Amino acid sequence: MIFNTWAYYLFFLIPSAVLFRLAPRRLRPWVIVVGGSLFFVFFSYTTLGGLIPALCLGIFLWESLTSRFYKPKSWFCWVGVVQAIILLFVFKYWNFFVGMVWFQATEKPYWAHAFLPLGISFFTFEFIHYAVDRKQSKTEAGTLGEYLAFILFFPTMVAGPIKRYQQFLPKLRADLADWWYDWHRGITRILCGLAKKFAIADLLTAYTNHLNVADIAVANRAILPVWLLAYGMKIYTDFSAYSDIAIGSARLFGIPIPENFDWPYLQTNIAQFWRHWHISLTSWLMDYVYIPLGGSRVSPSRVYLNVITTMLVSGIWHGAGVNFVLWGLWHGVSLAVHRAYRRLRPLPENPSPASQFASWLLTFAVANLGWAFFCMDVHTALFFFRRLFWG
Amino acid sequence: MTTMKLLTWLTQSLEFLGGSRDNPPAGLPAAANPVLWGVWWGALCLLIYVFCGQSSKFIYIDF
Repeated sequence: MIFNTWAYYLFFLIPSAVLFRLAPRRLRPWVIVVGGSLFFVFFSYTTLGGLIPALCLGIFLWESLTSRFYKPKSWFCWVGVVQAIILLFVFKYWNFFVGMVWFQATEKPYWAHAFLPLGISFFTFEFIHYAVDRKQSKTEAGTLGEYLAFILFFPTMVAGPIKRYQQFLPKLRADLADWWYDWHRGITRILCGLAKKFAIADLLTAYTNHLNVADIAVANRAILPVWLLAYGMKIYTDFSAYSDIAIGSARLFGIPIPENFDWPYLQTNIAQFWRHWHISLTSWLMDYVYIPLGGSRVSPSRVYLNVITTMLVSGIWHGAGVNFVLWGLWHGVSLAVHRAYRRLRPLPENPSPASQFASWLLTFAVANLGWAFFCMDVHTALFFFRRLFWG
Repeated sequence: MTTMKLLTWLTQSLEFLGGSRDNPPAGLPAAANPVLWGVWWGALCLLIYVFCGQSSKFIYIDF
């Protein structure tokens, strides 16, 4: 829940943002550190149910200590990357991995009481970004307080948007210009986010709840695309509402953070769609997966492979399940096909309205059909497609 | 062309009203009127109040 609880606003956001603005500049990072630590412990304890998830605050403290040893061109930066990946693997993928590797064993080494520390999928990105950028001299180290403030900045801690240290640090150090205007824009954004979540995303749940084998089996075929479209709208309004609240909350501190959505469903090709959907993730994947693989500066076949690999990483990151792998593959192949098509037929300078409409419709259909793998397991998704296309 | 201009104006107006754009597009009436902002915030609060009973988890929290 978090962003739709009173506790978030009354105990964390408003007090921290006010204190941050009133505190002397050298103490500001520590206001965020204390607020972020309390936020993590409180919501880990109350939403994940217990002391052990709350103790995962130690992950941030450990990471911040090791980060002090990251230096330009130093091999130690790789320690930071590897430890972040290992932590994510253990908490998020261990049981999935066990199921895949020991699938024939009678006694499988499952982690019976596995849990996902609050926000681990997102703060892992920021840990890796900092370690890699320090190695490549793309960012300064900052003080321990500044780095802790970066990773413990609670408006973005749980589900992004994924920040960059180079952009965050100057804002943390800057004079806070216009309190009232920031609060006006921030509150507007938060209210719009909450209204979008409650009045649109949650209303669509009535339709998306039907995306299960039992309901799909007996449903009229004509209603199936409506349910899937409802899911497409729900995930958009839900996650963009979340991002609105996160960005609005950060604005109360006077700290602008990256945007996550820019009218993705209005785009006219799948590459544009990904430049406008979950923008901070796409840009992270470009910088830390696609470009290190060779990006677009290799042979066309390698470029297609790089695109597909990047989207596979995105799929696997979204969840430990074969359906997420297929979802990543769906988008990877779509992007590769679009790239190959554009090589053969470059975009005309003035495309006709009819061709633009057809491109939009195709993009919208590809993106929305892909959600089937996102919201259903493989068996259910394939059954859904069988019913949708063959009755 | 007019349709595209209208669409752009509409998206920019929505972005401004939603808080994601700092400057209003040209011609947006009463962008600086505090009373109308009060009405807009009130309408949003009313929407939140009416629909908050069915509140559920944000999807991406579980990722």
